[in-house]
Amino acid sequence: MAEESGNTRVYRKTMPPSWWTRKAHYFWYVVREFSALPLAIWLLLLLGEIRSAANGPAGYHPLGGTGFVIFSVIALFFSLYHSYTFLSLSGAIIHFKVIDRQFPSWPIVWAQMIMWAIVSAFIIWALWWFST
Amino acid sequence: MHMFWWFMFAQGGVIAALLLPAHILVQGILGPLGGMPVADRHYETWVSALHNPIVKLYLIVLISVPFFHFAHRLRYLVVDFGVHEAKGMWAQVGFYGTSVAITIVTIWIVWTTAPIDIGALHLLG
Amino acid sequence: MAEKTITIQATRFDPDKDARPHLQSYEIPFIDESMVVLDALNYIKTHVDGSLSYRWSCRMGICGSCGMMINGQSKLSCSAFLRDYWPKPILVEPLNNFPIIRDLVIDMEDFMHKLKSIKPWIIRKTEIPLGSGEHRQTNAQIDDFRQFSECINCMLCYSACPVYGLNNEFRGPAAIALARRYNHDSRDEGTKERLPVIADAEGVWECSFVGECSVVCPKGVDPAKAIQQSKLDTSLRFVVPFGNRE
Repeated sequence: MAEESGNTRVYRKTMPPSWWTRKAHYFWYVVREFSALPLAIWLLLLLGEIRSAANGPAGYHPLGGTGFVIFSVIALFFSLYHSYTFLSLSGAIIHFKVIDRQFPSWPIVWAQMIMWAIVSAFIIWALWWFST
Repeated sequence: MHMFWWFMFAQGGVIAALLLPAHILVQGILGPLGGMPVADRHYETWVSALHNPIVKLYLIVLISVPFFHFAHRLRYLVVDFGVHEAKGMWAQVGFYGTSVAITIVTIWIVWTTAPIDIGALHLLG
Repeated sequence: MAEKTITIQATRFDPDKDARPHLQSYEIPFIDESMVVLDALNYIKTHVDGSLSYRWSCRMGICGSCGMMINGQSKLSCSAFLRDYWPKPILVEPLNNFPIIRDLVIDMEDFMHKLKSIKPWIIRKTEIPLGSGEHRQTNAQIDDFRQFSECINCMLCYSACPVYGLNNEFRGPAAIALARRYNHDSRDEGTKERLPVIADAEGVWECSFVGECSVVCPKGVDPAKAIQQSKLDTSLRFVVPFGNRE
């Protein structure tokens, strides 16, 4: 698109909606942002399962079926990618000083990853414990 | 206001990052495939877990807070795909309003399903 | 033995004649392994086609004038070695996301305006008189902002930023990183003056953290981090009771 700007005529390129296919980095950024959609759907399914427990023992249908398991596998990929990117990026953003010096970001990132492992192990244990 | 939504976006991101993978792995894959016994496979065990007020509070946080993260991300993603309107007031009302609505619905569902047994709590006391 | 050559495909645009830019190919001798894209352009200008227009000055990665899209990547043309591309042809285009004035020359007016808008100078409530001696800083205080002061205004980050590409109103990576450079300078007292521009809808909140700005920066500045930290700080200013400090 050409246009007049002051006395000189300039050419302005517009960005196509497909810009994110230009670079691998852009692509993975879009994957990271898109992860919100499968995770949102998965949580709504979980909410539906909780709701169906209000129907009594005969009306309760736990989540299952081939389609749901396949979707969960896909959601797990997006979920792990979200965890990895969010924890490493937020670890790099959190900043504070210890005795006048900027605390380096790598221990914060590692602390978050370790916390993730502990919390995950606890959730797995709790879901098993409530089944007994 | 941007600041508030971004703050909620960050909170939702942390909750989703820390808690979600384990739930999806266990309740979405291992449980349905019979890889391990999981609370929500049977009505009795799931309801007894849902009676617990701490479990209720946890589930409300687990389900509702990430939606503030999702709403923010999806709104920006729509902008990234060239839909400038998603920056506007009405888009914000739509996206963030949905996450508020889901929060309310979640609280209602988790609260009313397998209600906290006041009598049982009294007996414990 | 036949002389080694390399093909340069450069964007040509003459505002008086062309409706839109087109590519022109030049095959030039590749005689020296240390040749960079800027050397190739200078060879073309001197020996092949004197009408090719582009900006350059120091040819050693300091002035920030010769930023271009090289095979689609934002790069300083003085730091892009031909040997990394040969024998394939090299596509040389003007920086993305800016209006093209002629050939490889872009209009930097908007960038200059944004740079100025964040008041990139030390602001003080009361000036310290020159006679009172130097205003000393510890190494730790300098480390606080040094990284962000390395910026050479080459605009590579703007050309790599899809958010700026989609919305030219966005304040952009270099300007926000530079604001942080002054906000974190122990001599500066101007944070509150810069805040309206930084914490604006077209300031940090417009950024969706693609992060490509930090990848392409030739000076190792991390604008993406600067923007996210600014978001965190602005949020904390209101959340934490003692956050609204100077």
